Amino acid sequence: MTDDLIDRLSADLEPTPVNALEKRLFLAIATGLIATVLVGPLVLDLLVGRPFGGAWGSSMFWGKLAYTIGLGGLGLIAIPALSRPDRRRVWPFLLAGVTILLALAAGALSWMQADWAMPVLMGGTALVCPWLIILTAAPLLWILLAAMRRFAPASPTLAGLGAGLLAGGFGAAAYAFYCGETSMMFMAVWYSLGIALTALLGAIIGRYLLRW
Amino acid sequence: MQADATEKRMRELMLAALDGDAAAYRRLLAELTRYLRPWFARRLSPSHASHAEDLVQETLLALHSKRLTYDRSRPFTAWLHAVAHHKFVDHVRRHAIRPTVPLADDAPIFAVDDSAHAADRRDVDAVLTEVPERTADLIRQTRIEGASVAEAAARHGMSETAAKVSIHRGLKSLMSKFAGSRK
Repeated sequence: MTDDLIDRLSADLEPTPVNALEKRLFLAIATGLIATVLVGPLVLDLLVGRPFGGAWGSSMFWGKLAYTIGLGGLGLIAIPALSRPDRRRVWPFLLAGVTILLALAAGALSWMQADWAMPVLMGGTALVCPWLIILTAAPLLWILLAAMRRFAPASPTLAGLGAGLLAGGFGAAAYAFYCGETSMMFMAVWYSLGIALTALLGAIIGRYLLRW
Repeated sequence: MQADATEKRMRELMLAALDGDAAAYRRLLAELTRYLRPWFARRLSPSHASHAEDLVQETLLALHSKRLTYDRSRPFTAWLHAVAHHKFVDHVRRHAIRPTVPLADDAPIFAVDDSAHAADRRDVDAVLTEVPERTADLIRQTRIEGASVAEAAARHGMSETAAKVSIHRGLKSLMSKFAGSRK
């Protein structure tokens, strides 16, 4: 019986390219990024009514871009190791947690200087911001998780969390082009919340989808 | 050292297989089967020993469909161990089996386990082959399983006296064979 299986498997053998896992991963991320960037003009601009470059020219725009791409990059660092059965890499998540705490601390300082004015925290879009970030990140998250089904993560939940962090970070970066908010505290709270929720979503889906 | 030799041979076979060498792949799978079967059997309780073959096949299938997750610069045996362990844990969870891992060397509270008795039982069985079958059964029933001489005799359709004599003779002949010098 097992001998039959060995016969079938060795008849089915096809060469595996060097770094096949990384190649698949980067192809999925590139495809997903294109899909996520398209959400901007098609959904955020046309449906939600957000013009491109709402915070253009503000230094906070670059701050948001650096913050979100940084968090997404930490997810990118975590995923290749977490996609294998014999590897484990948790430090990017810890570093992401520390980064969010630092942003909150810096945001609180600037909020204090603004004398705890409510608009600094809430801006004009606080209650939709996290949901729009999840929406923007969704195509990337979906394509990434679909590609990762071919992998063998030691922990499907952690691998999903990594995919969610990557999608959330890069999705938030794409969203930042259509967001007019320029307060540090706003970013530290609502962007972080959107990214964290996307990461959580990735962990929950990954727990079931990435099982092998 | 022996582990290093195994790692080296297995890794070479795996690298050849990744490049499309079907003969090397077949050899790798056949050889892994020989290692995996006892490895799983050791981890399953005797009542689930029949699952070992399923687990071997699941592991080979996973090796096949997930082979792109093997990093060529890392040890192959560690990767395979991770795959087999994952399959084992998954299987145990799915079938709600409680895994039994011998802890004899770990904790005194577990120092005495059933396997010692199993070894004793095997010794008894071996020794009892030295006497006639009916005598052996009488001895087993009265001296090990705790039946009375009357019960054992009834089961064999013989008188109690005849059973007593038979047991006595059997034990005596075993004594002379195995307890030689202490007579």
